Amino acid sequence: MGIKSIEVTDRLYWLGRYSERVYTSLRLFAKSYDDMLDKGDTYGELCRSLEIPNIYPTAQNFLRRYPFDESDPNSIASNLLRAYDNAVELRQEIGTEELSYIQLAVYEMNRARFSDAPMLEFQKIADNILAFWGIIDDQVEDENTRNIIKVGKRVERIDLFGRLHASKVDLHREVRRLQGRIDRCSIRYDRDCLAELGRLVEEDTLDYSAIVHTVERLTAV
Amino acid sequence: MKALNLFLEDIYNDKRIVRDRVVPEEFIYASSGYLPQCEGIRPPGGVFSHISGIDLVLGKDGNWYILEDNLRVPSGASYPLIVRDLCRRSSPRTFQEFHIEDNRNYAQLLRHTMDYANVGGLTVVLTPGRYNAAYFEHSYLAEQTHSPLVSGQDLVVEEDGVFLLDYTGKKERVGAVYRRISDDFLDPLHFRPESLIGVPGLFHAYRKGQVAILNAPGNGVADDKGIYYFVPRMIKYYLGEEPILSNAPTYLPFYEEDMKYVLEHLDTLVLKDVAEAGGYGVVFGSKMSARQKEDFVALLKAEPRRFIAQEVIDFQDLDIMDNGVRVPRKADLRAFILSAEEPVVWKSGLTRFSRNPDSFIVNSSQGGGFKDTWVLSR
Repeated sequence: MGIKSIEVTDRLYWLGRYSERVYTSLRLFAKSYDDMLDKGDTYGELCRSLEIPNIYPTAQNFLRRYPFDESDPNSIASNLLRAYDNAVELRQEIGTEELSYIQLAVYEMNRARFSDAPMLEFQKIADNILAFWGIIDDQVEDENTRNIIKVGKRVERIDLFGRLHASKVDLHREVRRLQGRIDRCSIRYDRDCLAELGRLVEEDTLDYSAIVHTVERLTAV
Repeated sequence: MKALNLFLEDIYNDKRIVRDRVVPEEFIYASSGYLPQCEGIRPPGGVFSHISGIDLVLGKDGNWYILEDNLRVPSGASYPLIVRDLCRRSSPRTFQEFHIEDNRNYAQLLRHTMDYANVGGLTVVLTPGRYNAAYFEHSYLAEQTHSPLVSGQDLVVEEDGVFLLDYTGKKERVGAVYRRISDDFLDPLHFRPESLIGVPGLFHAYRKGQVAILNAPGNGVADDKGIYYFVPRMIKYYLGEEPILSNAPTYLPFYEEDMKYVLEHLDTLVLKDVAEAGGYGVVFGSKMSARQKEDFVALLKAEPRRFIAQEVIDFQDLDIMDNGVRVPRKADLRAFILSAEEPVVWKSGLTRFSRNPDSFIVNSSQGGGFKDTWVLSR
């Protein structure tokens, strides 16, 4: 494992988390947007499930602000910018070509902002994030670099799945993936938390709040 | 470059060139680029200016002129790499039909230069951070040379050695630092104490020969605008050779004879404050009002060491595309020279142009643009 500064390690981890948060948020938003076409103002459900404050007075306000408002820390755009903020400081770790997919996602977000059919543009953002993950897997030689990003991604996915009350099968799979990955990189974590997480997803009835709480503590050491 | 390196070694050690009265000592010790802290230091490998950026213009008389030497932290080598990549994609026939030198070896040249200076350990690129105007270049060159990009807080100095700290507390020895931070901010213990972007103790480790710093601290004394006047003399003094390239005709108001000439020909000269850089502190005599001239002459007489005057070189225009329209603009060339065992000129360079049709200022900090530079192999 090559030496990595504290800052680089931290940024790789958060790049993984924010890229996952954007990807999953886009998928959730797409579903919510589609539901609203038939059922009206159902956005409150999405806010509740993601545990973000419902600050949106109308469906139209939600549809503009939740994806695009960079001043709202919960918006998809602000999470994408945080992914970019981390990626742009990791050029030497991940490579210019790899970084360019995150930059392209930011450009697509700016296009979507002015589109009458933003869902079409959102698909391009999701495509670029998938391409980013793909090229990281394919081109980044340093296993430690790849694994730190993937650990960030898994932690974020477990966190989101916990909040969204995902199925036991899904959560079980993600925790197993995290367990198989985390010792293959230089990131520090709380072993007791990981063991607890493994136990929580084996329960017959999942305690989602405990899962979210535990995964949030995992790397806060 | 050989002469400039010999000059730096001489100035910080034997000072023969001063004793022999080739360069007046006023121009050495009054220069803001001279660092007394560097006295007695001979850097690893004997090289002071590892990466040098020499600004040239092609005059309408067909001669190339050196405008200035940049020996501190010259920027811009990454842009020709990026723009070449784009040109090869957008105009492949150009590269099929013409014998253009491949410039994609810059990272190898730079890496070799770093390795040559390295005293044992990692080579790192030290950046002040993302919000520096040249951050793209810092991160791109780190990527291309496979060197860790670090900020000041990632490095520690212990028992004269420099170490890179990792997330787990592991430390790895650093043998060379390609710093993209100016001398002033490099080490708060030796230079500006308020610097938060430097590495405390780095200069001490360098002085002890435990780490190489590229480019060496204190190089500013050799690329000072006042010293520029003496470079042709240095070449003769150290190498016994005549300069191949000309300097722009330059006058030092410090000398009585030159002061007289400058005052008589103010309208045809460009005047430069030696303490300024980046295209700032440059005034064309022809563009000053009567009142401004009066004020300037008073300042010149009070501080003659502060200014140089040069004949305005009418340099050639290059065609550029401005919003899809092909127009002529003033342009210069920054040539990069990498010095390890011997200085090597990179067969490329940064061609910068002015966006303003009436301006000679090409610096990117003042809105200038850049384009690919084609060096023909035959």
